Amino acid sequence: MTTKGGSTRRLLLHRYRRGDAEPHIEEHDVPADEGTTVLAALRWIQLHRDPSLGLRHSCFHASCGTCGVRVNGREHLACVTMLADHEGTIAVDPIANLPVSHDVVVDMQPFFARFPDQHPIVRASEPLPHADATDAADGIDEHERFEDCIECGLCLSACPIAATDATYLGPAALAYAQRLLEEPRGTDREAILDWADQVNAAWGCHAAFECTEACPSDVRPAQRIMALRRELRRRRRRQGREVPEPENGTARP
Amino acid sequence: MRGSRGGRERDPGVEEILRGRRGEGPISRKAPGPVAWFDVRSMTTGHLAFSIHRITGIGIVFYLYLHLAVLSMLLGGEDAWSGFLELATTPLFLGLDVILVFGLLVHGLNGTRLALVGSGFVADHQKALFWSGMAFGAILLLYAALHVFTAGD
Amino acid sequence: MAVRSRPDGAGRSRSWRWTALTGVALLLLVTIHMVAHHFVVEEIGGLRTYRQVLDYIATPVIFVIEGVFLAVVTVHAMLGLRSVLLDLGMSERRRRLLDRALVALGIVTVVYGFVLIGVLASRA
Repeated sequence: MTTKGGSTRRLLLHRYRRGDAEPHIEEHDVPADEGTTVLAALRWIQLHRDPSLGLRHSCFHASCGTCGVRVNGREHLACVTMLADHEGTIAVDPIANLPVSHDVVVDMQPFFARFPDQHPIVRASEPLPHADATDAADGIDEHERFEDCIECGLCLSACPIAATDATYLGPAALAYAQRLLEEPRGTDREAILDWADQVNAAWGCHAAFECTEACPSDVRPAQRIMALRRELRRRRRRQGREVPEPENGTARP
Repeated sequence: MRGSRGGRERDPGVEEILRGRRGEGPISRKAPGPVAWFDVRSMTTGHLAFSIHRITGIGIVFYLYLHLAVLSMLLGGEDAWSGFLELATTPLFLGLDVILVFGLLVHGLNGTRLALVGSGFVADHQKALFWSGMAFGAILLLYAALHVFTAGD
Repeated sequence: MAVRSRPDGAGRSRSWRWTALTGVALLLLVTIHMVAHHFVVEEIGGLRTYRQVLDYIATPVIFVIEGVFLAVVTVHAMLGLRSVLLDLGMSERRRRLLDRALVALGIVTVVYGFVLIGVLASRA
């Protein structure tokens, strides 16, 4: 029942419905081959076993960030994670450090609430300075580049500090702030630095680097947090001790 | 940035995040509370470093006060100290000394890594820094252990 | 937002820096301390007798070094404890209480340590 490829895999599925006293685990045997993804397995369960199974997905190719789950404790995008890459029974749980809405679906509002005020939902880059007609593919006049971050929440799930401190703004928001410093495009840099220079912001990270390990989009949030600290120190040297500070000393999203 | 609402005991930052919760669902957790800091299941290098840094740090703080308490025995005069020395030179106690040295080495060497990485330097090499630091520490620990058990022979 | 001439420590930005600085200082101070106490005296464990301890701590340079070591390690320990406890998530009010408690503990520790080595040095 647990052989790889062309047979059946056993999933231990986290189930929760609003009103339940607590979550419970269900076992499901799912037909699988070498190319069966976790998402495909979950959809099979939804289609053939339990239509009430709650799961969230969209693009099927790791660009929307919607289908984040934990597979045997590690964060993954379900649409590109193969069952064949995991031995034995496969535990599928919602990503951590966020409220569970339904089964493996979490409420992402607290994730987005951590971002600085100036965070738009979608931000397009300007055409890259070096991009010209010779760089573009046929029929494409200019490039537009969106952020690497797909806001999947895997980094927040993996972070051991977010596990105990709900006020810690977390890797995604901090990495985003650092990206704003790299490409401000009208953003108030000083306001971003003020926001980051607090106990529950850039200085809350303890360099576990789990966020970078979990990130499916090469954002490298931990490295960006360290770069953010470097900017904060540069600012201190530049400005001396005059640092605008929120009244209660914590960064508010 | 949003303005302050000062004058309230509750931290507005926390409140705003919690207000974002629409449902009543439990928070999904890998492990209960601080256990998550030390959860060794599928732990990556950086997390391992964070965990042992925290454990050794807490252990060394505990040792600081233990050490002050032990040194306070000197106030009891030569007999009191000699009594302690008899205990302190037993193999079990010497073994604890080696554990102390292990803790100091791990915390110090990983702390050096943290100072470098946390300052924004060499963040991309944090794994190599950790393992090379631990390798160097292992050599020092071996030397220290040999000395602890053989000094005075 | 008010512009203040000095951050009052509500942010962690200064505490991280001081944790790192005291940590670097401790690399040297702990090494000196361990070598002086366990790698100099040719007794088992490198431990000094009562008389040897008193003579050692009464040496002015040693007294100063050990005193500085005590102060630096206490600051580092208090900052480290603060860092661990803050990760449990606390409100601004609790954070201020924690800071006061750790400052008090740190002062008591350093004062006690100095009194201890002072008394021992005076007996040499």
